Amino acid sequence: MLGLRAVARHSGFSRPATTLITPRARHIQTATVKDADIARLAAKPLHPLTLADLCKHGRPPLSEQALLNSANFTLDILPSRLAHRIQSLRSLPYIVVANPNVSKIHGNYVHSLSTLLPYAERRIETLKEEVQFTEVMADLVQTHSNTIGILARGFLEARKYITAKEVTRFLDEHLRARIGTRLIAEQHIALHFSSKPHNDLSDSEHQNPHAQESTYIGVIDTALKPADIIRRCEATVGEICELNYGVRPTVNIIGHPETEIAHIPMHLEYILTELLKNSFRATIEAGMEKEPIEITIAPAPATEEQTRLLKNKPEQAVQHTEGVITNYDQGSVDYASGSNKPDLSASANIRPLDKNTPGVTIRIRDRGGGVSPENYAKLWEYGFTTFNEDEINDKVSGGNGNSGGTALDAISGGAGGSSSLAGLGYGLPLGRAYAEYFGGGIAVQSMWGWGTDVYLSLRGVGKIG
Amino acid sequence: MQTLPYSALTNQHISHVYELYYTAFERLRKVPEVRTMNDNDKFCDVLKMCLKEHLSVIPRLAMGILEIQDSVSGDECDRFMTTLLRSRISRRVIAEQHLALTETFHSPWHFDGKKSHMSPDDEFVGEIFLKCNAKEIIEQCAKTASELTAKAYGPDVAIPKIVLQGHLDTTFPYIPSHLEYIIGELFRNSIQAVVEQEGSAKPPPIEVLVCEAAQHVIIRVSDQGGGIDRDILPYLWSFAKGPRRKKRLQNLGQVPQLAATMQELQLPPSDPDVVGATGEKFGSPLATLSSRPPDLRIGIGLPMSRIYAEYWAGSLELHSLEGYGCDAFLQISRLGNRNEVLSTRATMDAV
Repeated sequence: MLGLRAVARHSGFSRPATTLITPRARHIQTATVKDADIARLAAKPLHPLTLADLCKHGRPPLSEQALLNSANFTLDILPSRLAHRIQSLRSLPYIVVANPNVSKIHGNYVHSLSTLLPYAERRIETLKEEVQFTEVMADLVQTHSNTIGILARGFLEARKYITAKEVTRFLDEHLRARIGTRLIAEQHIALHFSSKPHNDLSDSEHQNPHAQESTYIGVIDTALKPADIIRRCEATVGEICELNYGVRPTVNIIGHPETEIAHIPMHLEYILTELLKNSFRATIEAGMEKEPIEITIAPAPATEEQTRLLKNKPEQAVQHTEGVITNYDQGSVDYASGSNKPDLSASANIRPLDKNTPGVTIRIRDRGGGVSPENYAKLWEYGFTTFNEDEINDKVSGGNGNSGGTALDAISGGAGGSSSLAGLGYGLPLGRAYAEYFGGGIAVQSMWGWGTDVYLSLRGVGKIG
Repeated sequence: MQTLPYSALTNQHISHVYELYYTAFERLRKVPEVRTMNDNDKFCDVLKMCLKEHLSVIPRLAMGILEIQDSVSGDECDRFMTTLLRSRISRRVIAEQHLALTETFHSPWHFDGKKSHMSPDDEFVGEIFLKCNAKEIIEQCAKTASELTAKAYGPDVAIPKIVLQGHLDTTFPYIPSHLEYIIGELFRNSIQAVVEQEGSAKPPPIEVLVCEAAQHVIIRVSDQGGGIDRDILPYLWSFAKGPRRKKRLQNLGQVPQLAATMQELQLPPSDPDVVGATGEKFGSPLATLSSRPPDLRIGIGLPMSRIYAEYWAGSLELHSLEGYGCDAFLQISRLGNRNEVLSTRATMDAV
């Protein structure tokens, strides 16, 4: 068909022969990605990953051997994950994947896989190879950093050809898998930069002087204080509010503010920013900015079981029956992510250390008037149905969300640069994906006419080494 | 009940309940069409007798369910229980409503000719209180629950205060006994949780928020009682309990009115003035359940409350902050014209 050539040309690869070269390649070696490769890798069952796996190489600074182990481990699991993503994208309707934005993402995944294929049968044995590998990881992270925004735009443009339900289903699975893939890559990069060999090789200026890094294992901070993150997010979002509304609500932290958990700061910051954005906007627009937003930090009590169960595989995570647990799930992450695809997603995601690791529940209470009953049903959709035709056209034509959207959408469009994510309604579903990834969850309880309570539960990574 | 697996009905409690319903059915179908006031009176007598006999249904069923856990799956039990209880509420409401209206009809006020505007019955249509005031009911329940707990735990234990805020003047039509049961259960749970925590001299207060909107009223009960244990969480809304089965079973046996002897039939129809709450005219089973001593935990408070809440198209949700406390959200539809919800959620979704 005519379309096929156009698509192929656009995504930058044509079947079967030429090698993929992009301007970003630098010295990165690539190999052609053949359909057979994708099929072979996708056929492999996804190795169920645990956070323990990510941390098992030891506390930084890693020795040379540990670093090589980490690299090889990453190498083992990443290609098949990428292949799964490609297949999943390919199972979307043709006309949707033909959309330039969506096909760009597809191309990105193929490119990343192509950078990993040269390592196919080899193991990383030397430091030099490891450095190269880390570059490959960096390239991966860099390439995919804008995936969500671009995909969102793509789906928006193609909305006539695919139902909102299908989009939600696809995005739920895809974005969750993406969290995992990025985590694996970023973890290795972080471990690399805090490893002994790296510190030895680089001169003193390039070393990481942060004292706090000692609590970090890669991207995981074992002594993360949610209160700190809350204050940081409050500052950021508050400034934006002042800029645009002239006022900003205050935040009261009660409960146990000194609580510490082991978690990934990046994730938590994203979730809290989104939640605070919602709360702040609602509060201001309801005229209640004098009322503080009350945030309660409640650490879950640790039980003796945890240390005992720490060694066991998470297969013993309890499967809860449908309908008994809401999406505020304190059970295994399988249930939460398996809502769309019970068998595949279960293994694709990283499991928490085990079901009883100490965690924290954060409750955000605002007086912003609540969520109207009509909107409540659409809360968890990926921004599809909340816009009228005009607004969508504005966004699609590249507007930064100023027209038609509400003020805070414009704010996020402006402040976040090219990312107009918030205006597209991705904040809540994405935030929930992040929370549920390690066995936590988000529940929203609205009191229409008064305010909203949001319950963010996080499972800690647990005691490590 | 006939569709339950045979093994379920071999259980003595369940078969007893089955017999009760069978007899009631037989009796009722023999009542001829009501044409005169006399007929109506006879009909009312039949109704009253049925209602009295069935007072013990709930605890019995609960016991039966717990006992047949090995042969019938938890899910099926829950479904069965939920459907049964809903239709039971429906029947009792209809029956009690008719009885109440009959009584009003017979009462001297009616034949007066002039409607006395001071009559409290103006606000009642049978059992339904048109102007349930959230504040009053909550304060009443708070008092009762606190007193019960104080009695049980002794005078030197500090009971948390219950603090109200929000739209306190809200009124809505509802059946007071239902509402009191639900709120009573929630308060009992909260107060108990707070008291049983390593009590400080000044326990943190329980906050109640009343929020009114055009179509519904939301009541939020927030406590700092330490939250809900993780191993119980999945069984919170289920009649088929998990780890705490044995204890529940024992306790159910001690609930008053379970003896199913002359004791039941001796219960006089309670006077509205005597019983603190309003509108309990026919020996409400809820009253006895509510006034049981606090350490008698029978484990059906939450699922029952949810069924009552959902009966008039409302809802009951719980969010636990593990290690800190619990928030319960009770939503009540206030239009009064919502149909009764008889099918379970599952069947509703299927439709």
